[in-house]
Amino acid sequence: MKYSIARYWREKHSYYRLKATKCLKCNKINYPPSKVCRYCGSRELEDIELFGPAKVLTWTTIYTTPNGYEEYKPLIIAMVELLGTGVRILTRLTDIDPEEVREGMLIEPVLRRTSEDGEAGIIRYALLFRPLIKGAPEIGSNK
Amino acid sequence: MVNMLLNPEKETGIIGWGSYIPRYRLPLDEIARIWGFAKETPGGLRTFEKAVAGRDEDATTMGWEAAFNALKRAGINPREIGAVWFGTESKPYAVKPSATIIAEALGITPDTMATDLEFACRAASEAMRIAIGAVASKLVKYALVIGSDTAQAEPGDILEFTASSAATAFIIGPSSEAAAVFEASYTYVTDTPDFWRRAYIPYPLHGEGFTGEPAYFHHIVNAVKGLLEKTGLSVNDFDYAIFHQPNGTFPLKVARKLGVPKEKVLPGLVTPYIGNSYNASALIGLSKVLDNAKPGDRILLAPFGSGAGSDAYSIVVTDKIIDRKDKAPKVEDYLARKKTIDYGMYAKYRGLIKRIRR
Repeated sequence: MKYSIARYWREKHSYYRLKATKCLKCNKINYPPSKVCRYCGSRELEDIELFGPAKVLTWTTIYTTPNGYEEYKPLIIAMVELLGTGVRILTRLTDIDPEEVREGMLIEPVLRRTSEDGEAGIIRYALLFRPLIKGAPEIGSNK
Repeated sequence: MVNMLLNPEKETGIIGWGSYIPRYRLPLDEIARIWGFAKETPGGLRTFEKAVAGRDEDATTMGWEAAFNALKRAGINPREIGAVWFGTESKPYAVKPSATIIAEALGITPDTMATDLEFACRAASEAMRIAIGAVASKLVKYALVIGSDTAQAEPGDILEFTASSAATAFIIGPSSEAAAVFEASYTYVTDTPDFWRRAYIPYPLHGEGFTGEPAYFHHIVNAVKGLLEKTGLSVNDFDYAIFHQPNGTFPLKVARKLGVPKEKVLPGLVTPYIGNSYNASALIGLSKVLDNAKPGDRILLAPFGSGAGSDAYSIVVTDKIIDRKDKAPKVEDYLARKKTIDYGMYAKYRGLIKRIRR
């Protein structure tokens, strides 16, 4: 077993719902979530979810991957901005070929399996981003 | 004396519906080429290509997206869902429910029931009947029913032509809030060995010709007849008919047996374009029909699962459907989103190539 089961369990809401914390003092969003605001040091924060559409700022394609990711390569790692929040996160893009990625492209979160701990260990699931499909909700409708 | 609800179906209906089809399509000609079948074989199945889940997808992730779309159409608070029932025969874990992963990821946990059900292709349909009972009895306000499969088939087996990947989901709730209400339902099951997969065996086996007459046709025909007897309706009273669709020909043949014209079957027939998505098969047909239905339409639905059993439902569309249709992507949006792949990529995506996983 290479994965920490406790860590995956502890962080599941960040993986599944993009959980973050918002500082009640300076109003800034901390992602990944933090119990102490990394901008002003306040300990008064509330849980929020950043689940919603985003746009691609920049990206890179990785062809040499760590163990456990061989079948998922090439990995397209992107810096994306979550619309309406200004929050930037690093994520993986899916359902797209490297040559199809464009700066400013609109994308949406989807739950995918991101890696497996060998043949018998846990399967890790997380939100990745894929191009918006026709019929998707209007931009800005963050839950 | 037990005080029984005489018609629990009428208390319940479909609040939201949604589906998911993965991006990749494998043309059936490619399977015929690789395994040396006659070129006419796919045409005989009236199926042209099948949907293939990508390497980062499985029954859980596809079920998540279908359920997410159903939630968008329902417009309810996920915490009000009291049951998550996940029908599949391709569980990512042999032991560990997919239902809890989806419930957690959609914000439904922890005040809910959640479990996975197995009955070949009709576990999700059984879940729908259980949901009707749970909602009518007020055990739960809403139940989320999901059918999702990355159907397995032995490479080179005739089954490989149609075994595909897709998911569908329905939120069942009180009829007063429903976009379509249940009028009646009926189930017909027997012990029939038409299709099975033993423990630790990677692919199912099937009884070839035995899968048709004593299995598919016998059970669907009897389920539909049972429904018609129970309700006093005739097949002419329905605007649409959706049957389990293991290929593109069986649903049309069973329709002929029941006296249902082809025109009422074709709008819900999805298999020719995506293959047989098992637990999503007939139910994704219902999803597509709801995407286009109008208030007052009456729908006959009859899923089937090997082993064997069939459920027949009469469903009537309400005026609440109008505002909900466009709140999520439709089946046709997913049908239009596709990328054709070859057999090699399909083999990689579906784990058919043996590797040492470190």
